[in-house]
Amino acid sequence: MNNILKYTKGDRAIWLVVLFLSIISTLVVYTSITSLAYRHHDGNTFYYLFRHTTFLIIGLGIMYGIHRIKYSYFSRVAQLALYISVPLLLLTLLIGSNLNNASRWLVIPVINQSFQTSDLAKLSLIMYVARILSIRQDVIKDFKKAFVPIVLPIFAVCGLIFPANFSTAAVLFTVCLVLMFIGRISLKHIGAMIGSGIVAIGLAFLLAMSVPGLLPRIDTWIARIENFSSADSKGNYQAEQSKIAVAAGGITGKGPGKSTQRNFLPHPYSDFIYAIVLEEYGLIGGVTVLMLYLILLYRAVRIVVKSPKAFGALLAVGIAFMLVFQAMINMAVAVNLFPVTGQPLPMVSMGGTSIWFTCIAIGIILSVSRGVEHESTLNRMAHAKI
Amino acid sequence: MEEKKDILWRVYLVYFFMCLFGAAIVGRIVFIQFVEGDKWISKAENTTTKLKDIEAVRGNIYAEDGSLLATSIPIYEVRFDPNCDALKDVVWDENIDSLCISLSILFDDKTATEYKRDLIGAKENGARYHLIKRNVKYTQLKKMREFPIFKRGRYKGGFIFMQQNKRQKPFRQLAARTIGYDRDGLKPVGLEGAYRTELKGIEGKRLMQKIGGGVWMPLNADNEIEPQDGSDIVTTIDVNIQDVAHRALLEQLELHNADHGCVVMMEVSTGEIKAIANLSRGKDGDYYEQYNYAIGESTEPGSTFKLASVIAALEEGLVNVTDSVDTGNGRYKFYDQVMTDSKFGGHGKMTFGEALVVSSNIGISKVINDAYAKNPQAFVDRLYKMNLQQSLDVEIAGEGKPLIKSTKDKSWSGVTLPWMSIGYEVQMTPLQILTFYNAIANNGRMVQPKFVNEVQVRGKTIRKIKTQVINESICSKSTIEKIKPLLEEVVENGTARNLKNAHFKIAGKTGTVQIANDKYGYKYDSKVSHQASFVGYFPAESPKYSCIVVVNAPSNNVYYGNLVAGPIFKEIADKVYANSVEIHEELQQQELMANNTIPVSKNGSQKDLVKVFKKLAVPTDVQSLDNQWAITRTGDESVEIQVRKVITGLVPNVVGMAATDAIFLLENAGLGVKIDGKGTIKSQSIKPGLRVGIGDQITLELS
Repeated sequence: MNNILKYTKGDRAIWLVVLFLSIISTLVVYTSITSLAYRHHDGNTFYYLFRHTTFLIIGLGIMYGIHRIKYSYFSRVAQLALYISVPLLLLTLLIGSNLNNASRWLVIPVINQSFQTSDLAKLSLIMYVARILSIRQDVIKDFKKAFVPIVLPIFAVCGLIFPANFSTAAVLFTVCLVLMFIGRISLKHIGAMIGSGIVAIGLAFLLAMSVPGLLPRIDTWIARIENFSSADSKGNYQAEQSKIAVAAGGITGKGPGKSTQRNFLPHPYSDFIYAIVLEEYGLIGGVTVLMLYLILLYRAVRIVVKSPKAFGALLAVGIAFMLVFQAMINMAVAVNLFPVTGQPLPMVSMGGTSIWFTCIAIGIILSVSRGVEHESTLNRMAHAKI
Repeated sequence: MEEKKDILWRVYLVYFFMCLFGAAIVGRIVFIQFVEGDKWISKAENTTTKLKDIEAVRGNIYAEDGSLLATSIPIYEVRFDPNCDALKDVVWDENIDSLCISLSILFDDKTATEYKRDLIGAKENGARYHLIKRNVKYTQLKKMREFPIFKRGRYKGGFIFMQQNKRQKPFRQLAARTIGYDRDGLKPVGLEGAYRTELKGIEGKRLMQKIGGGVWMPLNADNEIEPQDGSDIVTTIDVNIQDVAHRALLEQLELHNADHGCVVMMEVSTGEIKAIANLSRGKDGDYYEQYNYAIGESTEPGSTFKLASVIAALEEGLVNVTDSVDTGNGRYKFYDQVMTDSKFGGHGKMTFGEALVVSSNIGISKVINDAYAKNPQAFVDRLYKMNLQQSLDVEIAGEGKPLIKSTKDKSWSGVTLPWMSIGYEVQMTPLQILTFYNAIANNGRMVQPKFVNEVQVRGKTIRKIKTQVINESICSKSTIEKIKPLLEEVVENGTARNLKNAHFKIAGKTGTVQIANDKYGYKYDSKVSHQASFVGYFPAESPKYSCIVVVNAPSNNVYYGNLVAGPIFKEIADKVYANSVEIHEELQQQELMANNTIPVSKNGSQKDLVKVFKKLAVPTDVQSLDNQWAITRTGDESVEIQVRKVITGLVPNVVGMAATDAIFLLENAGLGVKIDGKGTIKSQSIKPGLRVGIGDQITLELS
């Protein structure tokens, strides 16, 4: 135990955030899976609790392992991972297992564990963008040398995720845009990219409308957006139930395990988990969770301040931004600030392998912070010598 | 360093925006909680939801041969959510007309325009749970699931349906009370009640939301927990015998304008109840299965109880059947009470055995009274030894308790003993009496009446119910040997001569008893009503079945057991005997075979034909064994069994078949069948080989 603590490096605050989120996750998932447990395991909620904590503990192990890796290796890994993700995404679209008309999952043959290929692709793309941005810092305002090599993989990956999972593609696209902005890509180029992104989505929708069956999910998307924008509330069951949960929680919440809205909210253990947090732990619990994510992002900002190298800084802030942005979207859906999407709350929602990818992502941030600490001590020692 | 500064302000800007985003979320939470809070909380209070129980499909109750006595058929309530999230206006507009036309054609109750007006109205009113139809059959539901809009399912097409189960008795009144019911709010009755835990299955759960007017709407497309179907029970009831018993009883009740009556038939060795019919007159004058008299009604049995008295006295060794007794002129005084015999002028001198055969009240009571005068309790104890004071503890609830007085009872008086010996001042149910006679038929071994053979789950036996022995031997073999000829004599030369027939012997005892009238008691002659009964077994030489018939309050001045109850017994016995080849005497069978050469047979099921011919040892020439239907040709030395091909979708050839086979075959092919005449099928109105049209009617002529 002492050994593990001795070798646990990196930002202590981030470790604490992870620990708090894991505890909250265990509590909230346990209360919100009752309906699922009733349906599939005779009301045996322990089955899911056990499964979820197992995933969490393995995930923390992965996180520990990743944070021991020297972060500069991730530059190479990014390239490799991207080359693997693109064909995998294509494969998923064609043969992936179909859940609600959305092919998102692929089964890893040997261990028979299904995972969302978009999780892998998301992480690889951000690492890759951080890599190119840092390599091309000297020529960063150049269209051909900097913009094009970044933008092509972004369009490829987002385009492949888009048919099955519109919101993930949109979130990823936004994160990449922000990362490019931070990485000092010309604002003109970014503007053009936003424009072409919108045009691409518009074209895809038009095509899907004229060729029914090409994008089977389009009905759902349109319905969700229509429901969100329409003023009358009769069509928006999920949002209504979620708001009831928020209102019922009050300032201090109903207390652990007292949620009633878990019976009415679809996926209370994932998409609407924040509503359950608000119902059981109230405004205080909700703000706490939100603050934890903002702390995570803030620690990433601190890494940028300390980091002597552009790659580490961009990698840490890019990944942190992706996680926190996704969390914000999830919370915004729960409080009906956003139309219903299927974004889980990172580190909190139940969801098997998704947790592992989140852990890998945080592990990378920790690896960078460990590296940065190390580099700065080296620097100080060097200064001291002079 | 410039580079780093450039990056840093951008990071801070992004961080600032994220904090803003966070602030917006918190602001939104505060808004929902404090501005809209009351609205949502009151909404939550109004939308109560519950995990409601979903009834499992109740198990079937089968007759002994597998015929369905009670079954649950699913019916559905179909609802529609015209405002569900994913049902878009385009889909609605395109499909609403065809949906309404389909509905109108399927149910034929409203025009398509009326349906359209309904559905559009529901949509405009914001309905989420619009009732389309109740009591929808499974076949209709299957069709509805293919309708436009509906075929999109619960979430995209708003199609909601809920299953309910409707209990049905395919044989309607037959044994209805014994099969019973298990309904909400009523005390369960009969086998439905006795086996309710097995039949009920395990309830499922479905999440339902309360909407206006006490209506509960399911929230999800599927049940949260699927219910588990109940087990089936296979009873001992033989539908054919039951049918005869029911009709024979009904006929006599109507003939004598009786108040009620019951018939129970039991297999001697096993106690299996083959038939049990209970009929009573309803307010409209017709007879219905309304109360299980056989099990529940405890009355004074009268003369049928004399057998118990005779056995008791013989067992004690106090008397013998050959002992002589003087019954005098038909009137005899015990203290202040006068006992009379039904024969005018009296029976005079006779043996104790003859007193039983002619059912002389004086004969029996005088012998018993003399024999036990000093120690009446010995008589009572002997009766107790024969388990007569014990309930049978049958699984069906509501058994009437037998009452046999002890000398210690307060109501015991000097005249109790003589009156008890002829079946007064005691009470027993028809089933208890039958069980006693059955024990005699079974050479002293008393078995518990049994209604159910086994419990099954999907055709597999999970529990067999064995015959329970109440008393291995209620009396000695020698007493049985003395008693049996007397019971045969009752039919041969005694009070039930009208039951006698040439083919087989019946043994039994008649009973005619005055029953206490509610208002006056039975001492006032003008107001008495009667209970006529006959209990016995057959064939007398090696008893296979025992049977009791009790008719209460026949009101047309005919009330003797032999005249009112006897004919019912006889009809059932005749029918059962005719159908039970195994109890026929060997001789008759051989005679039949010797006289006839190769028999002529109807066409029909090949399996059945081959089986029958094999049993009768008739040589057959079978073309091919694995066909279902066959034609027979009677040759000189054997019966040729040829294949009759039945092709799905074409009208089969049924000429030469029996009506039952033909109806089975034709109805399976999808035809409606009408029958004209009796016997074998001579012609059919639709030529064989033609394609079957939906709803076609075929008429069969029989001769």
